[in-house]
Amino acid sequence: MSTAAHSAQGSPAKPAPAKPRTLLSLLLHNRLAAIGLTFILIWTVVAIFAPWLAPHDPFVTDMANKLQPPSGSHWFGTDNFGRDILSRVLYGARISIWTGLIAVSISFLIGMPLGGIAAYYGGRTGTIIMRVMDVLLSFPSLVLSMAIAASIGAGLSSAMIAVGIVGIPEFARLMFGQTVSLREKEYIEASRAIGVKDRVILYRHILPNALAPLMVQATLGMGFAILTASSLSFLGLGVRPPIAEWGAMISEGREYIISGQWWLVTFPGLGIATSILGFNLLGDGFRDVLDPRLRSGK
Amino acid sequence: MKKVKLLSTLVAFSIMLAGCASSANPQTPAATSAGTDTAATAAPVKKNLTVAYSEGGTTLDPAEANDLTSDTLVLAAYDQLVTYGIKTENGASIANTEDIKPMLAESWEVNADNTVYTFKLKSGVSFQSGNPVDAEAVAYSFERVAKSSSGSFLYGMASIKSVTVKDASTVEVTLTNANHNFLQILAMYTFSIVDQKTVETQGADYLKTNAAGSGPFKLTKWDPATEAVFTANDSYWQGAPSLGKVTLKFTKEASNRVLLLGKGDVDMAIEIPPKDVSTLETNKALTVASNASNRILFFAMNNKVKPFDNVKVRQAINYAIPYDQLLSGVMYGQAKQMKSAVASNTPGFTDAGYVYEYNLDKAKALLKEAGYEKGFDFDFTLGSGFDDWEDDAVLIQAELAKIGVNMKINKLARAQFLEQQKTNNLTSYISKWTSFVNDPGYHLGFLLYGKGSSNYINYQNAEVDKLWEQANLETDTAKRTELYKQAQEIITTEAPWAYLYEYNRIVGMSNKISGYAFYPDEVIRFYPLSITE
Repeated sequence: MSTAAHSAQGSPAKPAPAKPRTLLSLLLHNRLAAIGLTFILIWTVVAIFAPWLAPHDPFVTDMANKLQPPSGSHWFGTDNFGRDILSRVLYGARISIWTGLIAVSISFLIGMPLGGIAAYYGGRTGTIIMRVMDVLLSFPSLVLSMAIAASIGAGLSSAMIAVGIVGIPEFARLMFGQTVSLREKEYIEASRAIGVKDRVILYRHILPNALAPLMVQATLGMGFAILTASSLSFLGLGVRPPIAEWGAMISEGREYIISGQWWLVTFPGLGIATSILGFNLLGDGFRDVLDPRLRSGK
Repeated sequence: MKKVKLLSTLVAFSIMLAGCASSANPQTPAATSAGTDTAATAAPVKKNLTVAYSEGGTTLDPAEANDLTSDTLVLAAYDQLVTYGIKTENGASIANTEDIKPMLAESWEVNADNTVYTFKLKSGVSFQSGNPVDAEAVAYSFERVAKSSSGSFLYGMASIKSVTVKDASTVEVTLTNANHNFLQILAMYTFSIVDQKTVETQGADYLKTNAAGSGPFKLTKWDPATEAVFTANDSYWQGAPSLGKVTLKFTKEASNRVLLLGKGDVDMAIEIPPKDVSTLETNKALTVASNASNRILFFAMNNKVKPFDNVKVRQAINYAIPYDQLLSGVMYGQAKQMKSAVASNTPGFTDAGYVYEYNLDKAKALLKEAGYEKGFDFDFTLGSGFDDWEDDAVLIQAELAKIGVNMKINKLARAQFLEQQKTNNLTSYISKWTSFVNDPGYHLGFLLYGKGSSNYINYQNAEVDKLWEQANLETDTAKRTELYKQAQEIITTEAPWAYLYEYNRIVGMSNKISGYAFYPDEVIRFYPLSITE
């Protein structure tokens, strides 16, 4: 980690995504971030190639072979309908990664401009926007997403929207903080002085400089989104049966814990745990790499 | 629109929070708090009973009670004019709903054309408050049922025209027409006799959260989120109960109820999941009472919605259901195949017309005849709260997929499901039904009679309606049964539902408990129970 930090010392800390090679090598030298990245890569590959990797059809019921413990033919065992849990966990990765991506995109694409506008223009507009964000933040995130999902109606897309909305204030506040400090920078003032449009200043000058912390938030937000979406499915507000989703699989299997069929909940649980761990480690690694103060301190 | 919905959800949520706060300090009914201390010191030490229940109940008002827990609470605190007898079947005690026994009414007389019943009340019986149980209270209680939103339908089902007080201990009930179910309906919790004087002094809302009856137990605490506590009414007119205290622990998760029972933390648990029965049976300290009930489960198809308006399509669905998988795989044998719209242990049941079996070829052939050779998509609404429903739905979905029919499962919370069901617009759903009066007339009258209040799938058949109306007026039991059988055969052939199964009522209890009897309404009566050491 420290050697990587030294080698990158000379490069400017600002638009990091513009130098992917440096960023990647920095990340790979951060051991925890590398582990996180590995988990994410594995799950992404699994999500993309699930139909080819899965040994069985995840939706075909086989009551003669229900509740079989892990064995050679079913590595992760079978559920109460005789469906192969390994196949369902693999297919579940698709839903979880996809839900996370969509939800974070919603949060990012709505939260970022809101925060930017609120900080750049300030005044009443800014106050209104940021107070609304405060209201959203004042609710426990799971409860708020449950309320939103329930009012839209159960289903995968409503879960995505609910999780996305809940994530908006985080991005808005982060962007707000960044913009407030960037707004006073000389190059922004210079742009304003030569009559560059506000829209252009926000998009071309402020956004790229504020992107680093937003990237960190987006990565950490993926983990949060996967967990919240799984929680919604666990509570019956997510996917429809028979779709394989980790949270829903745990919900279906929880009745079987006391009768000893541990594999129904363990494997989807591990899926959730490893994918969230992956995003959190990567997010932390991003922060370490992108934050010049942390880096120079090494 | 969405915003309004969201806002209302938030408002509802804050109300819910407020509700949680108030239930942390549950109401202690005023009437009972005074007497309990003295009674406890005077009486010998009695055994206490703790029961794990699934839901917390919604009201204590007998006229409005409409769910298992509310009904249980009402029957513990109130008495009715008449009650059901008990018979023994295969060593198990089972209520015989056709055998009507006196309770608060000592005796009754019926006029020649079965339209006027004169009840003579037992003398010297008083409510828990000390007020006497008199004819005025009976008339008042019946009037409350007539005006209630939940019980008024039963009032109509019982064909009650008027209730007249003849003297302090005589009540005359006049019916609009002879009704063979009248006394059976009177024995239900809805027709509990309430303490008129207490209600009038405490106000109309008093009964929602307090009990004012003459029953064997006094309510000392009711908090729908946690528990309900009853203490024995030692001056009960039939003799003091042998239990000192009855506590109902509200435990929603079935696996938790099984754990509590297995560890001996509760003496009794209701609604045991079928898959846990065999494990519990190996526990020597426990007895599992699994009785065939008249609770049925059916796959309902809206007869007005395409393609289910076509009888062939409905029959095809009947042929595509994996009955054996449902019975053995989902219910672990704790259920019985259902072969008529009426439960098989209901008098007058017939399986005439039942030809269905799991046969995908027949299902396909029928779909072809109906013009749906390539299959179709349809919406299915799954109400939450019952694990077996979801299992059934997933299995049926998998079979239907094999004949090209795509069943789209929409999950709804139970309250929303019940709300939507009432609109008569759901395309298809799975639902259960228990007829508290074990009679085909009562049962079909709700569910499949054209104007039935729970006929949510728009089943209309003029002949069935005519048979039902005819049977309702028929006083001869044999002739009436014949009419009901004809109606059942038509219904089974037309297949407005696919019949799934008849549940067993499963109650697990400690071996020390004696006196348990199964009632078709599935409510446990605590008075006859005792615990031995």
